[in-house]
Formats: sequence, structure tokens, C-alpha cells
Amino acid sequence: METKKRYFDIKWLFMALVVAFLLVFQVFPLLYLVARSFISDGHFSLEGIKRIYSYGLNLSCLKNTLITASLSMVFGVVIAFPLAWLVGRTNLYGKKFFRTLFVTTYMVPPYVGAMAWLRLLNPTVGTLNVFLQKLFGLSAAPFNIYSIGGLVWVLTTFYYPYAFITISRAMEKMDPSLEEASRSCGASPVATLFTVTLPLMLPSIVAAGLLVLVAAASCYGIPSIIGAPGKIYTITTRIVDYVSVGSRESLSDATSLAVFLMIVSFIVLYVSNFTVAKKDYIVVSGKSTKPSIVDLGKWRIPLTILVSIFAFIVVVLPFATVFATSFTMNMGKSVFAPGNITFKYWNTIVSRQSIIKSTGNSIISAVLAATLGMIVCVFMAYLLKRTAAKGKEIPDFLITVGSGTPSVVIALSLIMTMSGKFGINIYNTIFIMVVAYMIKYMLMGMRTVVAALSQISTSLEEAAQISGAGFLHRMRDITLPLILPSAVAGWFLIFMPCFYELTMSNLLYSNNTKTLGVELFLYQTYHSQQTASALASGILIFVLILNVAMNKLTKGKFSI
Amino acid sequence: MATITLKNVTKSFGNSRIIEKFDAEFADGEFITLLGPSGCGKTTTLRMIAGFEKPTTGEIFIGDKKVSGEDTFVPPENRNIGMVFQSYAVWPHMNVFDNVAYPLKIRKRPKAEIQEKVRNILEEMGLSDYEKTMPSKLSGGQQQRVALGRALVSESGILLCDEPLSNLDARLRKKMRREIKEIQKKYAITIVYVTHDLTEAVDMSDRIFVLNEGVVQQVGTPKEILETPANDFVREFIF
Repeated sequence: METKKRYFDIKWLFMALVVAFLLVFQVFPLLYLVARSFISDGHFSLEGIKRIYSYGLNLSCLKNTLITASLSMVFGVVIAFPLAWLVGRTNLYGKKFFRTLFVTTYMVPPYVGAMAWLRLLNPTVGTLNVFLQKLFGLSAAPFNIYSIGGLVWVLTTFYYPYAFITISRAMEKMDPSLEEASRSCGASPVATLFTVTLPLMLPSIVAAGLLVLVAAASCYGIPSIIGAPGKIYTITTRIVDYVSVGSRESLSDATSLAVFLMIVSFIVLYVSNFTVAKKDYIVVSGKSTKPSIVDLGKWRIPLTILVSIFAFIVVVLPFATVFATSFTMNMGKSVFAPGNITFKYWNTIVSRQSIIKSTGNSIISAVLAATLGMIVCVFMAYLLKRTAAKGKEIPDFLITVGSGTPSVVIALSLIMTMSGKFGINIYNTIFIMVVAYMIKYMLMGMRTVVAALSQISTSLEEAAQISGAGFLHRMRDITLPLILPSAVAGWFLIFMPCFYELTMSNLLYSNNTKTLGVELFLYQTYHSQQTASALASGILIFVLILNVAMNKLTKGKFSI
Repeated sequence: MATITLKNVTKSFGNSRIIEKFDAEFADGEFITLLGPSGCGKTTTLRMIAGFEKPTTGEIFIGDKKVSGEDTFVPPENRNIGMVFQSYAVWPHMNVFDNVAYPLKIRKRPKAEIQEKVRNILEEMGLSDYEKTMPSKLSGGQQQRVALGRALVSESGILLCDEPLSNLDARLRKKMRREIKEIQKKYAITIVYVTHDLTEAVDMSDRIFVLNEGVVQQVGTPKEILETPANDFVREFIF
């Protein structure tokens, strides 16, 4: 027995700690939430589920979510597939630039899009509405952003990158000789596209669509900024309203809706996992196969112009709008009207105490989430790739499930379980946000570390072991230095979405732990759209700088 | 004392038997080769001696110390063995000196001693000019020497080699064979060498263990194996 004790392997202690963390802060709260929704007065009951469709308010938000998410899915794919093909498989002008542009949108907080389109398509003063009205001499504004259509438009323009990335990936991986074979059989490029490429890509296209569906259905920022003024409620905004009411009944309604949303998300993601085995959203440069490039011929210039117009409308216009708004004194006039340019909102965001404090909170919580998250990811990736432990895939699975869980659901489950009811009280502290961020965003870190570990030969670690290095020394001297670029990239990939997170923060913040996302949201909704726009522009610039930093730090291996 | 003893060692993965009752004693200073086709269990046997695999049953001793048995398992880092891997396993983020010095650093030897021993080994390996060179700048043969130096530096008396020459070209292989043999004589170490290459085995070994499907087919000196193969398998293998 003595020998056994002496050679106790310390790595299992770390593994156990990390697994315990996942069980306590992720598995337990979510299971509790599910249990709560099926139990009323101590008995099993379907009352809560019944209220989802029997109560008018719930039913209408269900309908709205279903309609907007499905339409965004359809439009998202209809936009993403041709774009991915044009950018990945043809001789379109500037395709590298377009690719970067479309992929970068993925890293932009969706609520920025909502702010921009609100300003552009407001039915009375929307900049674009007024412009079009003048241009065509219309008597009324052509568009109204406060509508189902408006919601679908913004959701689509901000979630199609999910589909674009997934489909581009699949196109890169596809064996180009399959298309070449079709060409040599006499099929034109377009015929090849429809008879070979499209059918082969179908699983990825389905998966891409389902991804957009879940993302759009779980989104809170866009429907809360655009839907609420137009009295269009979705499941997510409804849940947040119920939570802020805070009564017993409203909480159980929130729980039922959340569990419903969670179950639907899980089913959809499970189905999409079936159709494509693996998917990750970061762009690792360096392609494995060289795809055959289709010559667009006389269509090359018209199609490039078309893609440019699309890029202008979907990327340039909204960002420029937000940027311009941040300098606009009088929102009723153009920013270029005489005397209408002001720097006071930028001055506000760098001088107002509450904003500075919120920025600090965001940085601290995002740094903690990214750092603790990467610790979890490194150990769990090691467990998965380097040990023969039974059930070693389970943590990886849990991290995947966490990322697929809608943000509102994670936040609600933590509110219900981490406010002292079960011996842990981190409510009203920064830690409840850190935990929520980790659950939602760790997957990115996990994927990069797992990929890195798969590329490192185990003999490098074995050589250290035979040299006399125990687990911690091996980690410090061999494994960590070798996976460092990926770990750094993973850290940034967790940090960035946490830094500007809105949905979970909005449910979990207290007066002392307000974050940047919440601050921006409050300014946008109640105080000053210009200040909110200045904040959003600041966030965008910061994220872009971080992206460049990540690219430099990992020697160009990773960028968004 | 650098002897290695395997008593009734068996190894199974799930339902499949990899090693069937391996019994052997490797004497101090002996050059032992485990020879056989791929999948015969030779690498698994080596990895059990190193401690990377646990035997399903049986015991392994290094010197008088039991390192593997029913209630004992000494992990590789505490076995004090040198090993050369098929893929070299030279750490790409450390220079030549740091690679070779690692086993001494991890055992917290004094700096002066580390300096001296590493310099000596590097000189022996013909790598004195490459102390600060990163492995990616070295040729395959040079990387192999770094790996060999790293395995020898702690003077453990035992060297395990897992097909160390299979990634080198034919001419270099011949040269390295001679060098390894010379090193063995000079340092008087016990070597367990895994290969599927008959020439290598015959050229270097004191004794050869011929394996097939986890079963030892024949044990003998190169001469014995070549002149009196014990069964059809060995006959065909040496042909």
C-alpha cells in the first residue's frame, strides 16, 4: 500500500477539481432548472409546460421566436451559400478581403447591428428611410424596423456569418477532384455547382442553417432593442421580463420558457451534430487542399459589384452609422449638418465614473473567465487526449452542451441555484458572471487546445517523463510551452465575447458589478443613443485591436 | 546494478492478448534486441519496462527493485531509465543544450555538474558546436544524437531504444549502429533495443529475442538465431 500512496499521481487531483467545478456550476443548475419546470407544489406536473401555450403572452412570444428564427435561418443560408462559393471557389475580385470582412462580423456584438438599423430604419426619422423617401418622392417611410420583418433583417445580417463560416469550412475540406471529375464529364461550372457541389454540401448547409436557427432564437440583444419598442416579444425578452418581475409565478413561467428553449436548442444542435461531425468557428490559416477555382468569365465584374454592394449594406453601413451617431449632436439632423459634430459623447465614455467602473468590471470578469476557462480547457483537453480514463469524453461533451445552451437559460439557472439556496451564494458578485461566461464560451478554448494537443506527438511528453519529470513539471516544461500559441488564441477567443457580453450580464449584474454590455444597453434604451454608439464604437475598435494582437502573438496562426 | 527482469509478464488490451507470458533476465551491460514484425508486441514490452504501459499480470524488476507488480507500480519518471524514441522526441522549443540537460535539471543537480556532464556528452555526440542551436535547424541524424545524449546524460545504466534508426537513411543508419555499440561498451550500459530490422539486430546484439504475435519464438545470440532457427517463423523471418 505504501508504494501506491507514494506514487499518487497529482494530475487526478486537478482533473477531479475541474470536473467538480463543471458538475456544481453547470450540470446541477441546468438539471435543477429542468426539474423545477416539471414540479409544482412538490409534485410532478406538466402545468408549467401547459402555461407555455395556454397563456397568451407566452404563446405570442413563442410564435414570434419561431417565425423570426426560422426566417433568419432560411435567409441566412440563402445568403451564405452563394457568398461562400463566390469567395471560396471562384476568381471573384478581392475575395480574400471579402472573406475577412464577413468572418469579422462574427466577432461583433449583435446588439451593435440592432442599434445601427434602429437609427437607419426608424419609421419616422430613420436616416435611410428619410433618404429613400426623398430620393423616390415617397409619402411615407418605406421601411419600419419595429416589425417582424425588421427583426428578421437584423438577425439575418448578424447571424449569417455563422452559416458562412460553416459552409466555407466544408467547401475547403471538400475533395476538389469531385468537381473536376464533373467538369471533365462535360458539365459547366454552374451545372457542377448544382449537381455536385450543392448536393455534397447539403449536410453542412443543413447544419449551418440549424446553427443560425438556434443562435437567432437564443438572441436577446437584437429583439430587446428592436422588438420591445415595437411590442414584439420573443422567448428571450419574455424570460428577462419575467425575471425582473421576480414573483414566484413569473419565475416559474420564466423557467418553463427557458427549459423549452433549452430543449429545442439541444435537439436542433444534436441533429446538426449528426449531419456534420465536427465544427469550430475559428479560422485557422493554412488549407489542406487546393480547391479548383471557377472562372466567372463575363460575370466576374458584375458579381464582384454585387458582393461589394452586399458588403456595403451589411457591414459598412451599420458600422459607419454607429460610428457617425457617436459624433452626432442633434439626432434629428445629419451628422454633417453644420455644427452637428460633437466629441462630447466620446468624452463621456472616457470620463464618466460609472462607465469607467463598468469597463473595469468587464475587463476583470472577462480576464477571469478567459483565464479560469483556459485552465479548465487545458486540463480537460489533456484528460481527453492523453489519458485512458473512463468517461474522459464527458467533460468535453459538457463544455459543448454549455456553449449550446442559450445565454438566458444559463443565467436563469445560476440565479435559481447560486443565491444561497444550496449553500453557495455568489449572486450579486462578479463571480456569478464569470461562471456564466465560462459555461457559455469555453468551447472555443477547448477546441483550440484539443486541436493543438492532437498535433503534438505523445513521445515528447514521454521523453520528459522518462527523464524524471512528474505531471506538473511535464506540463510546465513541455506540454504548455508547445500548446502556448493555441492557448493564447483560446484565451482571446473566450475573452472577446465575455468582454462585451450583454444577455447574461443583464440578468446577473448588480449595482456594483455592472458590465460594459449592460451599461451600453441601458444608455441605448433609456438615456442617450449617442453615448451608447460611442461605447459600441469603442468596443469595436478594442475588439479589432485584440484580433490583431492575437494574430501577432500567435505568429499569424490564428485570427478571427 | 542495471539488470532487468521480467517475470510472467502478460499484457492485454480489452480481449486481445498483446504479450503472452514474457520471462526474461537481461544481464548488466548486455545488448538485448527485441526483434519481430510490426504488431508482434516488441514495443509494448519496451514500454512496459519504461513504465508507459502497465502489465496485465506479472512483475518487472530493475536491479533488485520491483517496479511493476500486483500492488506496485513505479511511474516512468521514478524509474531512472534512459530512452530513445522512434520519432526522436527532441523538444522543439528547447535548444540542444537544454534538451540534453533536462534529465539533470529535473533531478535538481548542481549547475556546475550539469554544465560539465552535458558538455561531455555533447562532445561525445559530436554536437559541441550546436549547444545553442534549436532542433529545427538540425538534420535527422543530429536530432537522433541529441535524443541519444539526453537518454545517456543521467548515467542510469539502462537505455531503451524504440526503433531509433528507422527514420534515418541507410548510410547514416550504418554509422549510428557503430556509434551506439561503441557507446554501450564505453559506458557499460544495458541496452534493450526494439527493431524489425534483422541486420540491425545481428550487427549489434549480444542476445536476440524473436517475437511474433506476443509470443517469444526464440532467444539466442545472433549466430544461434541465424544458424539454428527454432521454428518456421524464425526461419522465414531471417530469410
